Amino acid sequence: MPKKTQTETVTLTIDGKTVTVPKGTVAVDAAKTVGIDIPVFCYHEKLGPFGCCRMCLVEVEKMPKLATACTLAVGQDMVINTESQKATKGRQGVLEFTLLNHPLDCPVCDKGGECPLQDNTFAHGPDLTRTEFTRYNRDKAVPLSPVVTIDRERCIACQRCTRYSDIVEQETALVMVNRGFQNRVQTFQDRPYETRFSGNVVDICPVGALTNTTYRFKSRIWDLDNAETLCAHCGVNCNIVVGARMNEFMRVQAKSGENSQANDAVDDGWICDKGRFGYGFVESANRILNCRNDKGEALEANDALGQAATQLKKISDEHGPKSVGFIGSPYGTNEELYLYQKLFRQQLKTNNIDFKTYKQAPGLPVDHYDVGDIETSDLVLLIASDPTEEAPVLDLRIKKSVSFFDVKLAVLNDQKTDMDKPAALSLRYNVGSEAETLSALIDALNDKKVRGLEKSAGIAPKLIKELAATIQGSEKVCVIYNPAALNGVASDTILELLQTIGGLPDKQCGAIPVAPGTNAVGALDMGAHPNFYPGGLALSEAEKIKSLWGDESPLQPGFSALEMIEKAAAGELKALVVFRANPVVDFPGGSAVMEALKNLDYLVVHDMLETETTQLANLVLASNGPGYDDGTTTNIGGRVQFRKRSLVREDHPPDWMIISRMIRSLDPEAPSYKNSFDATDEISKNVPGYEAINKKSVKGMGLPRKGFACSEVQGNGAPAAEKPENGALRLRVTNYLFAHDKILDASSPLAHQFKSSTVYLNAEDAKALGIETGGEVKVVSGDVAIDAVAEVSDRCNPGAALMPRVSDEQGLMALVKDPDAATWVQVKK
Amino acid sequence: MFAFSETSEKEIEKQLVKYPPDRKKSAILALLRIAQQQNGYVSPEAMEEIGRRLDLSPAYVEGVCSFYTMYYTRPVGQYVILFCINVSCHLLNCDNLLEYTAKKLNIEVGGTTEDKKFTLLREECLAECSRAPVMRINNDYHVNLTPQKIDQILDSLK
Ligand code: SF4
Ligand code: SF4
Ligand code: FES
Ligand code: FES
Repeated sequence: MPKKTQTETVTLTIDGKTVTVPKGTVAVDAAKTVGIDIPVFCYHEKLGPFGCCRMCLVEVEKMPKLATACTLAVGQDMVINTESQKATKGRQGVLEFTLLNHPLDCPVCDKGGECPLQDNTFAHGPDLTRTEFTRYNRDKAVPLSPVVTIDRERCIACQRCTRYSDIVEQETALVMVNRGFQNRVQTFQDRPYETRFSGNVVDICPVGALTNTTYRFKSRIWDLDNAETLCAHCGVNCNIVVGARMNEFMRVQAKSGENSQANDAVDDGWICDKGRFGYGFVESANRILNCRNDKGEALEANDALGQAATQLKKISDEHGPKSVGFIGSPYGTNEELYLYQKLFRQQLKTNNIDFKTYKQAPGLPVDHYDVGDIETSDLVLLIASDPTEEAPVLDLRIKKSVSFFDVKLAVLNDQKTDMDKPAALSLRYNVGSEAETLSALIDALNDKKVRGLEKSAGIAPKLIKELAATIQGSEKVCVIYNPAALNGVASDTILELLQTIGGLPDKQCGAIPVAPGTNAVGALDMGAHPNFYPGGLALSEAEKIKSLWGDESPLQPGFSALEMIEKAAAGELKALVVFRANPVVDFPGGSAVMEALKNLDYLVVHDMLETETTQLANLVLASNGPGYDDGTTTNIGGRVQFRKRSLVREDHPPDWMIISRMIRSLDPEAPSYKNSFDATDEISKNVPGYEAINKKSVKGMGLPRKGFACSEVQGNGAPAAEKPENGALRLRVTNYLFAHDKILDASSPLAHQFKSSTVYLNAEDAKALGIETGGEVKVVSGDVAIDAVAEVSDRCNPGAALMPRVSDEQGLMALVKDPDAATWVQVKK
Repeated sequence: MFAFSETSEKEIEKQLVKYPPDRKKSAILALLRIAQQQNGYVSPEAMEEIGRRLDLSPAYVEGVCSFYTMYYTRPVGQYVILFCINVSCHLLNCDNLLEYTAKKLNIEVGGTTEDKKFTLLREECLAECSRAPVMRINNDYHVNLTPQKIDQILDSLK
């Protein structure tokens, strides 16, 4: 793969057309630039040249034999002929061999209609077959995993899938075994092919050998309505193509060279298995189809939203604006969150608006890097982030950058992750000591002494110095971090660190915050924050706020989401709107959260699936959600894209309409929108940084919004380390991609990936506690006890208990009281 | 469970120094051979162990191992008969000879005799076409085969 920065070019002739391309380009790609399609099987742009299938034979002047255009790096003045008699005959012969043992069961093959083998045979193959013998029969419909099936007789041994597993996901889980006509794609000892990214092999298989098990025999591809849209799971916002037949969901594919044009600025044409096989929520039995009141009576959407608006207004008038609040979600679109904050600020006059339980202010002290910047960086510094579980396709991008663009990766985390493998340097600090570790790194970067870190953070000062030297020695540094995994003051320290790196001489520095959710960046940008208006306008910027939002705009800081729960418990908050969030399960506090919500006079829950929280609502507003609603989202790289609907619901209004009607019911003068883009237009007018975002710019590759500086960075210094209670371990809650929640429910095709509740312990602690791997334990904090199976490993340093959130049922967040303080747990047999 | 013996470990050490540490995967053929020498065949557990040693996925090791017919992935007999079935030998009637041998040993091609003495396998060209038909038993070639010659050879091994 040539470096993207390469500029040297060569000029040559293909079928009489003059072509100029960067040096190193292979003939297949060069031909594509002038609209000449050389047929291929084994070649794939993202996998590089291989040359095993011989489909791409062309004639090159001065070369005695036909050449494979996929491995042929074009040279100056080369003359290539793809249509000469010799080339045509060569390709015909190749196809005859390729089809030798192929079953030609196109009429019942899922690939039929979008099959390169079918297409190439029509375009380049012989008219008649000369083979008159029994074909070599092989196994049909063998499951490689519960979601990927292989029909071995259709396989043409192009090795795209095995090379993908080696080069892209870098697991080498799928390989070719045996040789000759007996070769066979398989995993080690036929164990299930279960990686985070297994489904991509279905897209790239050029025949119907690898198929999506959930789509087998469900539809012919020409009957599908395909929507180019976005994945609604994590913050990468991968581009997907959703196929629906008669408004019924059929399948998800990555948007790639196979069906359209890959969005290299976002996902490189790959998606993870959650994106591909986790779309079933659109037809979940658990969907909320109608609005309803607390008696369970169905309400017309218009009546329901009118009631909600009136009631909220009434409570705000009676008890003051502080008595109403909004808890949104990083899964909402920009339009939805923008409109909700507008409703609460303009109509209800409150800043009680939030969407998260961790601390993060909008904006950065350095550039907000786009995902593509990772490839052009010299150093990627990954802090407290576990992309494999939290933003999977980012994991692929980092591995690619390390393997092919010589990017150095340094990891700073309190847990072992898959990113340690490609990392050049990997430091593990003690759970809870992120602030000290980051402070020490700042000191080291400022050439100050680093002391005492060994004891408090478990890292040798020498290593911090080495990391600092690596940072100092790199020109372009990209810092990727998970704001939700940085407790307490560390959320400030990270900004201080960014500022420090950015301030070093001759340095380009940018950051990519990777928080949970699809649209955490957008949510902050849209002002779903108690202290910031849209576009990162701090409350102190009163003049700007007033000029944009009117003189009446509230300027008092609002409550954060967690404070709202506290205030609800105390009776100070009377009414709350919860939008696509499930605080009862997802917020720290467990049953206390439930009690707090029950204590409210008025709880509106606006969601698409039934949750523990909808059960408590006085009014439920049905949300169509992703799949049915249009809107834009802003990905981790700040890139704004359009998430088009893939299915139509005509009997219920989209969320942006519900919210805007709530606004209009309180202010008839407020604008009404005909479609989601009308709201997007208003965003581009009112949200600094979003000026260029509009209907046109969000399509195709999307467009990065302009990043903005954060308000002043506070230096807190390292806090005093918190002392453990007797024999207690510090809890770290981590993420697991395939958690069994409302989105991936029991009927999900990914159910086989669900995990049972597990606690990871360091060998030292396990020994002291007399606990072994596989032992059933209880993890206890106060009066809460969570069942788990112990796993003894080096996943964290001593003194900690690491628990991934594996399901809603697990109830893990009940252990945590205050996410900014340490949670100490006892692990008991 | 599979574990390399002390002798094997010594030999592995000798092999590994031949390659730079970041290219140690090049030692895969050697390690497969050592594993086979030790246990007579390469078991899945041995593949996993080799993968661990060389930072390779077990699937990759299996892929390499299965590519070469001279690595056995199942237990074999004391004598492994590799019977050439390629062009030259084919023209000289190796099919009949192979069938003859199988009958004589009372096994299918691919099988092992009950007493674990002989395993009979098909093999591609053994690069001794000028003296076809050819079979190889462990490290010895037997050429210009006839039924009588096969009798003789097998009897001498009994
Ligand atoms: S399964 Fe598909 S992608 Fe894999 S080698 Fe066979 S034809 Fe190629
Ligand atoms: S990486 Fe994230 S956005 Fe991409 S497919 Fe997976 S869950 Fe969806
Ligand atoms: S596409 Fe060129 S050899 Fe396969
Ligand atoms: S064909 Fe049998 S040795 Fe060559």
